[in-house]
Amino acid sequence: MSNDVWVVADLKLDGTIRKVTFEALSEARRKLVGKLNGTLCGVLLGSGVSGLAPELGNYGAEKVFVAESDILKDSNPDGYTKALTELINKYEPDIVIAGNTNFTEDYFPRVAGRVQAGLTMDAIDMDLTDDLRLKIQRYSHSSKVISTQEFLDHKPMMTTVRPNSFKPEEDPKTPEIINESIAISPDEIPTRVVEIKTKKSDLPALTEADRVVAGGRGLGSEENFKHIYELAEAFRAAPGATRAAVDAGYCPYDMQIGQTGKAISPSLYVGVAVSGAIQHFSGMGSSKVIVAINKDPDAPIFKKCDYGICGDLFDVLPPLTEEVKKLMAQD
Amino acid sequence: MKIIVVISQTQDTEAKIGVASSGDAIDTSAMKWILNPYDEFAIEEALRTKEKFGGEVTLVTMGPARAVEALRTGLAMGADSAVHIKDDNFGLSDNYAIGKVLASEIKKLGEYDLILTGFKIIDQESVQVGIHVAEELGVPHVALVSKIIQLDPDQKKVTCQKEIDGGHVVVEVPLPALITCPDGMNEPRYASLPGIMKAKKKPLKEVGIDDINLSELGLTREALGKDGARVKTTNIRVPQIERKLKIITGKDNPTVKGDEVRESADELLRLLREEAKVI
Repeated sequence: MSNDVWVVADLKLDGTIRKVTFEALSEARRKLVGKLNGTLCGVLLGSGVSGLAPELGNYGAEKVFVAESDILKDSNPDGYTKALTELINKYEPDIVIAGNTNFTEDYFPRVAGRVQAGLTMDAIDMDLTDDLRLKIQRYSHSSKVISTQEFLDHKPMMTTVRPNSFKPEEDPKTPEIINESIAISPDEIPTRVVEIKTKKSDLPALTEADRVVAGGRGLGSEENFKHIYELAEAFRAAPGATRAAVDAGYCPYDMQIGQTGKAISPSLYVGVAVSGAIQHFSGMGSSKVIVAINKDPDAPIFKKCDYGICGDLFDVLPPLTEEVKKLMAQD
Repeated sequence: MKIIVVISQTQDTEAKIGVASSGDAIDTSAMKWILNPYDEFAIEEALRTKEKFGGEVTLVTMGPARAVEALRTGLAMGADSAVHIKDDNFGLSDNYAIGKVLASEIKKLGEYDLILTGFKIIDQESVQVGIHVAEELGVPHVALVSKIIQLDPDQKKVTCQKEIDGGHVVVEVPLPALITCPDGMNEPRYASLPGIMKAKKKPLKEVGIDDINLSELGLTREALGKDGARVKTTNIRVPQIERKLKIITGKDNPTVKGDEVRESADELLRLLREEAKVI
């Protein structure tokens, strides 16, 4: 058993590291590693990923474990499960952290089952108890409450963390690289990845974006959603939507924010023709600043936002988009 | 096709949520309990699969006496039979223990082809239980399946489209397999009145906690309760975020018109830059 804290790097489909990995490394260094008297370690799983180790070092990782295999290249959850399980069993870290993504929601529970670890998901706060057990906070019940959860004495302790919850802070180190070869036989990989369809977009991913512009059913059509994309682009924000807009077919499901969609915590959320249903607020209610644009003065969102314009989106969005572009061009 | 659907009864999170006087639990005294909404997609998918290939749909849940209502809802939608693992302590169990007990009962049901379950349980916002069930059963799982592209009972494989961050991916796994179901996978049917009447006569097996050999599962009676879990909730609070509520309206109308439109845009951006400092 070591007192080490591991942060497993979350990779995007283009092979770069997600921001949440740096956020997790920074918070682990600030809150956990010192008290545990342990080492902050990064973990890179994938194919052709060893070159990313210095980036983890830049955020304080003193050691980086690298496991490379062709089987890991298509984000195959079975491969990741096997590789991470073996590494944890061999090195016995105290705490294992990763960003909360669709992918970690997929394979982290399997790993926790195999290494007999407790696992919490989507933490917004991490700390240690006096006797050095991990203590996290997370939203539940449609984000209406925040629960504090403590691990009992089972080790390792595993958690995922919500993107945009912690401040990334550089702390350059030259990490020691530990290459691990993981033997994976094909019968341990029941999942065969047939095809990966990536979305071409220069805009940030919804769950990681610092700014989000979301549209509601009031947009009226798929075509009118271009107003949302344009304002999002001007703000350098990710576009999102309410469930009603997705159900109406105006935009794809992966843009859905809310109880049955994505949970986001951006610095700036702009809701256009969004009524402010509980369903939607459970996904974005923790945004730092909430802006509402709605023509209905009685829309519930006007009672739960910081700033608002009561106006028709088709009047307001074109000049607003133009002004945002001008403002951003000055920076 | 023998299809199993793992379901849960959850608190209705659209209702007002309060904290119990103990400070570490939700006040459930006036709570409405519902079938987990994601499990409705799982049941619907199971019924459509049965309609296409024939076979039977069995629901399995774990929870106190009230959880039978969730099973009745699923039976009324069209499932054929149900298993209720009943114990009042289960509501406090951790995800891992729940997965283990569910898997042990599923094993007793004999051979099966497909297990479906909701992607998330909405009250605890947990995505873990289904995957623990698959792990304990030693079967593959595919999470967040937006579409079953092809199910081949003869070749014993299923091809699914699953949602991932930044796109989607098509994967193929051998059967039996477990699939977790997100919102929008299908449109769940409502239970019809004849369906509700028929549901009352469908087989519903009750399994008591004493019928389960816990030590064989590496669990103890305590491990199913609050004190034996690997993670325990020590505090629950309702977050208070004060919002500024600065709404720009028109002078003569509730909505901004004419010149007011551009003025409102300028004012909003000024506030975001100078006051909120987010742009």
